[in-house]
Amino acid sequence: MKIIRGIKIGGLQQKIFNLMLIIILALIGVYGAVSIYQRNNLTSVVQDANDRQQIAIEEVSEETMMAVLESSMARTTALQAYIANDLFSDVGTDVKTLQAFATELFAHESDFAPHPYYEPDASKAGTPTVQMQHEEGVDPAASRDLGLVANMSEIMLSMYQNSDKLNSCFVATTDGCILFVDDRSDVYILEDGSVAYAPTVHERPWYRQAVEAGDLIFTGVETDSFSGILGLVCAAPVYRDGELVAVVGADVFLTAIDEYVQSRSSENGYLCVINGDGEVLFSPRESGVFKPALSSKAADLRESDNTELADFVKLALRERTPLSLIEIDGKYCYLTGAPMETLGWTLLSVVEKEVTDQPTAAMLSRYADINKDATALYQKGAKHAETTVLVLTAVVVLLAIMSALALAKKVVKPLEHMTRRINALSGSDQAFEMEEVYRTDDEIEILAESFASLSRKTRDYISQITRITAEKERIGTELALATRIQADMLPGIFPAFPDRKEFDIYASMDPAKEVGGDFYDFFLIDQDHLCMVIADVSGKGIPAALFMMASKIILANNAMLGKSPARILSDTNAAICSNNREEMFVTTWLGILEISTGKLTAANAGHEYPALQRPDGSFELFRDKHGLVIGAFDGVRYKEYEMHLEPGSRLFLYTDGVTEAMNTEGDLFGTDRMLDALNRQGRAHPEQILRQVTEEINSYIGGAEQFDDLTMLCLEYKGKGGNEHDD
Amino acid sequence: MLNIKKTVENEKACFQLEGRLDTITSPELEKELVDSLDNVKELVLDFEALDYLSSAGLRVLLSTQKRMSRQGSMKLVHVNDTIMEIFEVTGFTDILTIE
Repeated sequence: MKIIRGIKIGGLQQKIFNLMLIIILALIGVYGAVSIYQRNNLTSVVQDANDRQQIAIEEVSEETMMAVLESSMARTTALQAYIANDLFSDVGTDVKTLQAFATELFAHESDFAPHPYYEPDASKAGTPTVQMQHEEGVDPAASRDLGLVANMSEIMLSMYQNSDKLNSCFVATTDGCILFVDDRSDVYILEDGSVAYAPTVHERPWYRQAVEAGDLIFTGVETDSFSGILGLVCAAPVYRDGELVAVVGADVFLTAIDEYVQSRSSENGYLCVINGDGEVLFSPRESGVFKPALSSKAADLRESDNTELADFVKLALRERTPLSLIEIDGKYCYLTGAPMETLGWTLLSVVEKEVTDQPTAAMLSRYADINKDATALYQKGAKHAETTVLVLTAVVVLLAIMSALALAKKVVKPLEHMTRRINALSGSDQAFEMEEVYRTDDEIEILAESFASLSRKTRDYISQITRITAEKERIGTELALATRIQADMLPGIFPAFPDRKEFDIYASMDPAKEVGGDFYDFFLIDQDHLCMVIADVSGKGIPAALFMMASKIILANNAMLGKSPARILSDTNAAICSNNREEMFVTTWLGILEISTGKLTAANAGHEYPALQRPDGSFELFRDKHGLVIGAFDGVRYKEYEMHLEPGSRLFLYTDGVTEAMNTEGDLFGTDRMLDALNRQGRAHPEQILRQVTEEINSYIGGAEQFDDLTMLCLEYKGKGGNEHDD
Repeated sequence: MLNIKKTVENEKACFQLEGRLDTITSPELEKELVDSLDNVKELVLDFEALDYLSSAGLRVLLSTQKRMSRQGSMKLVHVNDTIMEIFEVTGFTDILTIE
C-alpha cells in the first residue's frame, strides 16, 4: 500500500471511499435517468395534449362549420336558384301570351285588316319601336301574313315596355319576314343608310327548335347577332289548322343573370350556373373548372374526370343537393346545388373550404402561439432546474467525497492502532487489551473484544498446557520409576544361583507398555526346593501392575509356607477374591522342583501349557490339567500334577505375549512357531534360548505394535551331576 | 477393532461380536453390557466373527458371567477353535456355558 496525503492507496480507507463514490454516482445516475425520463415524458404528454386539442378543435370546428353551411348554404342556393329561374319563367309566360294572341289572330284572320309596319329608322334609337326586317330576296309586300301579324304591334310594344328583362320580342312569318320590338333601331341601319337584311329566319336556332319541339322552347345561350351581348331566345310556334304560320318569341339578354351571379359572389364564395348539357354558363371564375365557356368546345361537367364533381352536377340538375365537399382546381370546396326547372339548368353555390377553415386555422394559430409560449416557459424552467440540479449534484458529490474520506479515516484509525498493538505483542505474558480507541460501537469494537478475549484465552491455554505438560512429565517420571520398581521386584540377576550346579534358570520380561501385568518369579523355598511362577494379569498398565504386585507377593508368601502348588493357588485365589471388586484375575502356572530328584510338582490356574524338552527330544507342549484363573471365583480348588525331569530336561514357560505376538498381516506367532523357534536352538543355554526366541518374535512381528507383555522363563535341569550337558 | 451388534428383546439380549476383544476394545463391550443388562434374564454372546480374545476380554466375560449368574443365564455360541482353546487354557470352560 502506498500512502499519498495520508490516504492509503488500496487500503480499507480507499475501498470505503470507492464504495461510497460508486453508491453516490449510482444514485446520481438513477436520479438523472429518472429526471430525463420524467422530463421527456412530461414533454411528450404536453405535446400529445397539444396534438389532441388541435385535432379536437379541428374536428369540432369542421363539424360546426359543416352544420352551419349545410343549413344556410343549401337554403341560400335553393333560393338563388329559384330567383334565377324566375328571370326566365316570366319570359316564358310572355312568349306563351304572344303565341296565344297569334293563334287567335290566325284563327280569325278574316276579322282583321292588314296592319301597317315599318322598317328600322335610326332616329328612333333609344325608343321602343316596332320594326320589320326581311331576308334578302324577300318582298315584304308580297308576304301573305305580314299584314296580319302586324296587328300584334301594340301588344308586343306593350309587353316590351312592361318587362325590364326582355331585350326584344318578335313574330316571324314562314316567308322570311320578322316583326320585332326593341330600342336599338340604329343598329339595323348599314353605313350606306340601307336597312340590313335579316338572317335567314327558318335557319335561326329558336325557329328551328320551336318548330321541331312544336311548343315553347328556350335556345341555348348565344351571342346576339347585332349587339354581341350574350342572350337566349324563348320561342313558340303558331299553327293555323295544324299548319305552321308563324313563330313568336322573346329575346333575353343574360346580362341580368350574369350580373346576379357576379353580385352574389364574393371572396368567400361564388355562384355558378350550369346548363342542361353540363356546361358552365355563368360564374365569376376566370380560370379553372367553373370558368364560363360559351362555345361548342365547352366541357360537359357531367363527364368530368373529377367523378365526384360529375356525379354532383348530375344530381344538382335533377334536385337540391346536400352539402358536399369536392376538390375543385386543387382546393377543397363545399358545394350545394339546386335545379333551375324552367331551363333545365342548375345553380351551384361554391365556398372554398379554406374560407370555412379560416376561423379554425386562426384559433389553431392562436392556440399554437399560446402553446409555444408555454413550452418556452416550460423549457426555460426545466433548464433552470437542470442548472440547479447540476450545482446541487456537484455540491453533494463534494460533500460525499469529504465525508467518505472522513468516515474511512474514522473506520481505519482504530484498525491501524489495533494492528500496531498486535504487532507489538511478544512473549506469552503479554495480552491484547481493550482500549478506548476501539469503542466504536460497531464491528471494530466486536473485533477488538474478540481479540482481547482470544488473547486472554490463549494466555490461559498456554498456562494450562504448561501445567498439563508438567503433570504429564511427573506421571511419566513416576511410571518409569514404577517400571523400575516392578522390574526390581522380579529376580533379575543372572546367573541367579551361581553356586547351584543342578540347574540353570533364566527369565525375561518385556512389558508392552511402561508397566505390565506379566510376571515371572523363582526362588528357593529351601535348599532342595525351587519354586517357579509365571503369571499374566488381565489388563495392562498401572492397574495390572498393582494387581500383579499383590499376586506375586501373596503367591510367594504362600509358597514360602511350604504348601503344595495346588494349595498355594487355592489360598492365593481365596486371598485375592476377598478384595477384588475390579474383578481382575491372573493366570498362573506354579511349579516346585525337588532339586535333588528332579520331581516337578505343578498346578495351572488358567495359564498357557508349559513346553518341555526331554534330554533326548525336542520341545513339546505339556498339556497339563487346568484350573480356573486366580481371582475369578472364590473357593476354587486346584489340582496339581507331578512329572519327573531327567537331567538334561528343559522347561520353557511363557505368557500369551509370546504365542499371541502379531505380525503386520494380523497373524499370530502361535505355539507351533514358538516350538520351532525353541527347537532350532538345539541344546543351548536358557539365556541364549530366550534371547533367540525374542529375536525370532521381533523379526516375525516386524513393524507391528506389540500388544502384550513378552515374558518367558527357561529352566534347565542338570541333576546331581551338575553341568554334564553344559556347553 | 471391535464391532458390536446388539439386539435386546424384552428379557433376552444377544450380542454379536466381530473383530478383536482386547485391552483397547474390552471397555467398549463392558460399557455396552453394563448399559443393557438391566432386566435381562437371558444373554447370548455370539462369537462367530470374533478373531481374538485377550485377558482383558476374559475379564469382561468373567464379570458379566458373575452378573448373569445372579439375574438369569448367559451363554456363548459359535465359539471358534482358537478362542475355545483360550477358554480351555484359562479354565473358563468351567464357569462359562458354551454351546
